[in-house]
Formats: sequence, structure tokens, C-alpha cells
Amino acid sequence: MTRYFTLSLKTALTRPELIFWAIIFVEFWILMWAYVFGVYIPAHEEAVKDYVSTAYGGLTILSLSATATTIAYALIHSSKSIKFVTKYTRLSPSRFMVENAVSSITVLLIVSAIMFASMIIVFWHRFGLLVLPHNPPGLFAATLLSAVFLYAFSSFLSLLIVVLRAPRSASFIAFVPLMLGFLAYASLWIDFRIIAYISPFNCISSLFYHYYSGKQPVTGGIFMPGDKELMDTMLTASSLTTWTITLLILDIILLRRMRGVGIEEIRIV
Amino acid sequence: MIEVVDLEVSYGRSRKPVLRNVNAVFDCKSLVLGPNGSGKTTLFRALCGLTSIRRGRILVDGLDVERIYAKTGLIMVNFPEVLSLLPVKIHDLISLYADLAGGDEAFAYRVLADLGVGEEILRSRRLHELSAGQLKAVCTAIALSAHAKHVLLDEPFEQLDPARKSRLIRYLADYDGIIILNTHETWLVRSLEDWRAFFMFEGILYGPVLVRELLEARFSLREEANPIMRMMVSGRAVSLVKDGGGRPLLSLESLDRVYELALEGERG
Repeated sequence: MTRYFTLSLKTALTRPELIFWAIIFVEFWILMWAYVFGVYIPAHEEAVKDYVSTAYGGLTILSLSATATTIAYALIHSSKSIKFVTKYTRLSPSRFMVENAVSSITVLLIVSAIMFASMIIVFWHRFGLLVLPHNPPGLFAATLLSAVFLYAFSSFLSLLIVVLRAPRSASFIAFVPLMLGFLAYASLWIDFRIIAYISPFNCISSLFYHYYSGKQPVTGGIFMPGDKELMDTMLTASSLTTWTITLLILDIILLRRMRGVGIEEIRIV
Repeated sequence: MIEVVDLEVSYGRSRKPVLRNVNAVFDCKSLVLGPNGSGKTTLFRALCGLTSIRRGRILVDGLDVERIYAKTGLIMVNFPEVLSLLPVKIHDLISLYADLAGGDEAFAYRVLADLGVGEEILRSRRLHELSAGQLKAVCTAIALSAHAKHVLLDEPFEQLDPARKSRLIRYLADYDGIIILNTHETWLVRSLEDWRAFFMFEGILYGPVLVRELLEARFSLREEANPIMRMMVSGRAVSLVKDGGGRPLLSLESLDRVYELALEGERG
């Protein structure tokens, strides 16, 4: 790894937008879930476990999608220099992609770890019960797959802005991961039915819930009364994997197309 | 060596070329003199393959510039936008480019100390937090410290005071490689006599000529016989002559004044 990797990691982790939107803002909602909404949760183990797992699925996707937004933004802002460094330094295009991917995925994993630790500590303090994941390796695998997906999605969005020469859309497009994260969070009240399989953000939230609680996730409307449709976990994981592979392929195609775009066309707004 | 063959560049969907029929060989230290907006920076972007070429080709040491990837030490530039890979403090930026481009951090610090950019600024500020003069100094120091075979310096003297300009000149004169430097200021001609000079007006490159030939040269607004160079400015033929009529080149200070002269010539 070059110095780019360590500095990129350090820059990402100290970015004020990431610290506020991906960590402090979500920490506020963890406290709300524990001390405000949590007062209605019956004090028995099964109910608390299910509540914590739901909180983990819903709030971690908010945190990770905010992280994905900062990754997309950072990539858009460095797109002019990427073209130069990949031509005249030892950071070749493939090496850049690998180092950028590894540092971004590491950031996503660190943010996940912060969310994981915060939720365990806060809910333990609130309920006096240490709620640990039912399937830790499964949860780690789902987190890793989600991190790869979110990186692939962020780079897809930033490359799209460059290739389509649409700098005016940069501010809007960089926020797409956060918007989709909030849509997935809305599944607590809305039953998305088949869309729960199509939306990768819903898939991430459902997989987190599944591996944390050991139960089958539902397609949505968790807090609403009535029958719920159970999700097929294999199908959910397959959907997320397919999205990830598709976006990685699109990233490679867009990266090749980016070579034909002059740096004066990569305006930053 | 950088070879430019029949180059034409235009931006976006615009059909009007910014650079037209540029042919040149840069095989030694060279100046590209021209007024602001004449296409010098676009030429530099094209030379390192950062801009889309509509026609022609550019070869860097025989390699097509469009196909160059991961060639450490071949070209370095002082464009702030290409040195903004990460929004880190200048101190980290110097170490980043030293690592990526095989540069010499100590050399960069030496140049910066001579150009009046102190350690405290380097440790506490990012590129976008610098004044215009400090920004030029930092980018030029990073570019020179890479010790690349070709260094493209875009207006490196802009916003520097005379004392710092003369210190930077020393580094340019001592540099062991091909420097291509663009500027609109003519005073430089006195200090870089051994270099070669090109002129650029309205996207067309003229030259080369030895810089020492320019010391006594005059700009004439007529088509003179046996000129050093004949150029077109605002649709008017302009001659650079060794002696005779016209304004001494060095008295112009900035080549932006050539347009004023051309206008005066039209009126009078």
C-alpha cells in the first residue's frame, strides 16, 4: 500500500460530515430508541432482543448510507487529480481502485463497529441486558458484503457524474445513498413487499436484523399492526450480491470511459 | 522529449478550437510566452494527457500520451487541481506526492523555505487555505521535488515578490531535466537566456527561438522583412524583429499588452 491508503483513511475518518451525519446524528437516534421509544418495550428478554435487533438493522443502514454519501463526495472532489496520479505516479488505475476500495471499506467497517459497540452499551444500560448477535460470523459477513456494495454504489455515482459531465448534479447525486438509506429505514412503518428484495438498502437492513436476532426478517411495516410477510434470507443475500457484482462491473466500464473526459470538463460545484 | 504533432483541442461540444495546428518539439528547457487566455494552460493540460484531443497526437518519450499509465517520473506539473488528491495538510501532501512520484521531501521543504512558506503554514493549512502566492509556491515546490524528466510549470512566478522570483529562477536554472514553463511576463527573458522560447497567441504556437535572441527584440505591428517570428494577433500580422521599429519586447512587461498595441495600431 502507498501513503495514499493511510492518508485517505485518516482523511475519511476525520471528515466532519462523516463524524456528524454517520456517527453523532445516529448516536442521537440510538439514545432515542433506548430511552424514549424504548419505554414501551416489555421488560422480558425476547422482546428486548427483537427490539435491539430491529434498532441495529434500521439505524446501522442510516449510518452506513451517510458514510457512503461522504465517500461519493470525496471521490467527486478528487476526480481531477485521479486522472493525473494514475498516469504519472506509481498509483496505477487498478492500484488506485484497490487502495481506494480498501480504505473506503475499512471506513465503513469502522463505522459499523462504532454503531455495534454503541448499541450494545446503550441498550445494556437501558434494559440491563447484554444483547449480543445471534450469529456473529453471519453478521460480520453481511456487514462486509454491505460495505463492498456501498463502496461500489458510491464510486458508481461519482464516476457517473464525471462520465455524464453533469457536475451540477453532484450535490444531489452524492446524497442518493442517504436518501435510499432513509427509505429502507421507512420499512419500519411501510410494507415494501417485493421492493424489499429489489432495494439493496432494504436487503442490508433485513440481513442485519436476521443475523442479529436469528429470526426471519419481514418485508416491512414492522411497527404496524397486521400480518407480515417473511423474507427469504437466501434470496435477500443473493439480491445484495447481484447488486454488488453489477455495480462493480459498471464501475470498471465507467472508469474506462472516464479516460476520455478532459479535466476542464470535471468541474466541481 | 515531448513531441506535439498537428494538435487541435476544443472543450466539450464546442466546435471552436482552443488550440490549432500546434506542432512543436520540447527537448530542452523552454518558455511558452503568451498573454492570459491564449491557450498556454490548455496546451500544458494536453501535453500531460489531461484534456481530450480532437486531432493530432502528443508523444512523451515516444509514448502516446493518451496511453500512458503509472509512468512514475515522466511528467510532473504544478496545477493545484491535480495536486488535490486528498484534502490533507500541506505537510502530508508533500509526503504523499514524494511517495507516489518518487520525490524528495527535503528538497520541497528547501524550495518552500526559500520562497518564504514556513513550517507552521505547511503543518496547519490545506491547499485551499493558502493565499494565491503560497499556493503557487507549494505546487511548484511539489512539482520540482518529484525530479521528473519533464516538469510543466504553469505561471510559477505569479504572485511572488521579486526576491522570491530570483530564488525560484536559481532552482529552475539548476534543474536537471526538461522544464517547460509558461508565463505572460517578459522580464523572465533576461534571466533564462539559454532556454528556448515559444510564443502563443489565440491558440497558435509560434517558434522556437533562442531566448537570448529576444533580449533586443521588438514587436512591430507590421509585416516586416526578415523577422525573428511572424504572428497573428487579433487578425493582424505582428512581427518580432531584431532591430528597427516597434516596441522592445522587454518594455511590455506583460504580453497582455500586445492586444493593446494591436488595438492602438488599428486606431492609428
